[in-house]
Amino acid sequence: MAELKPFVVTSWFGHRNDSEIPDVVREVWAQKFQRGRPQQATRQSNVDFALLDAQGKLVHWFDAVGSIRYSRPDDLISNTVKQIQLATRRIRFDSGSAPRLASNLLKLPDASPGKAGLRVFVRLDDRRMPAYRLPVVEFVELSARDWQPLAWPEQRRTVDASRLKKWLAQVYPPGVMERVDRTTKRAFAITSVTGSLSLAAATPDATARYAVASGRVRLGDSGGDGFSFEGDLDLVLTYAKDSPAVQTVRGVFRGSYPRLDRLRQSTRHIPLEAVFESRPR
Amino acid sequence: MRRAVLSLALLLSMAGSLRAEELEVERVLTWYHLLRPTAKELSIYQLDWSGSLDEARKRATREGRPICLVIIHSKFGDIASGHC
Repeated sequence: MAELKPFVVTSWFGHRNDSEIPDVVREVWAQKFQRGRPQQATRQSNVDFALLDAQGKLVHWFDAVGSIRYSRPDDLISNTVKQIQLATRRIRFDSGSAPRLASNLLKLPDASPGKAGLRVFVRLDDRRMPAYRLPVVEFVELSARDWQPLAWPEQRRTVDASRLKKWLAQVYPPGVMERVDRTTKRAFAITSVTGSLSLAAATPDATARYAVASGRVRLGDSGGDGFSFEGDLDLVLTYAKDSPAVQTVRGVFRGSYPRLDRLRQSTRHIPLEAVFESRPR
Repeated sequence: MRRAVLSLALLLSMAGSLRAEELEVERVLTWYHLLRPTAKELSIYQLDWSGSLDEARKRATREGRPICLVIIHSKFGDIASGHC
């Protein structure tokens, strides 16, 4: 990532037949889809990097995968670094000065000022697709009412997992193409959450009371074919000494995602993990 | 893997002195620390992201910095929103 420190980074997505395509994207695609390019150069993915100078002029572009195969992640990374270094040298040469660097601050998706919610990290531990192993981070804004099902347990009780759907709906892997609507191209959303959690108090400390919620939950999507997957959900919750309202949450989901391998007509069960942490505290 | 071994060792070392419900809290928090992505794994969030190409262009001009534009040829692919 150090190579990208001088850059303002942004993204754009769309199709070639869209009505509004930025000029720089048209310029990249005109070259990418030019007829008669050598076969090696036309081996392509659906992701491109375009590097522009401070005036917005295209300096260099490259396909994120190009001639490097998906199955060789180290080559993919070193090729990306090489291409960015190449563009950086050109920009530096043209402008005559080194671009300024961005800070090293980690800025994760978070609560807006005055709001609260839950940050969700999701990772599909697919050994065949290294890109899926990188975590996806989402933030779900939640109100006090959303935490009501997990309010302080005076005695052990059962919680219907469907009441936590608002944030459990983020537990699905990114970019899994077989779980996408073929017409709209939009990923199927998690629409059903079933299962139950056992919620019980734990020993308090000097400042807070604790409870643990644990159980097996099953998540189903909007695909309409009965697809679902399940895993273990464990949460540690804290409460003030004098209030049943949830103060903080830390937790994990450890499940197994059935991924269809169309070539081999088989299903692989891949570990799917999620981590939850309440924000702002 | 090293992180996993250290975390489990920590949990086991505490097991003898904790009550069952305390152990349950420690068990879940150990998994939380074990699975929470590291700063290195989250390094994409150290980049200086702009919400749109227009905004990036304005900032680039103002700050004298180049732009890295990630183009995704897809109907849905907003990488800034997490899932894509």
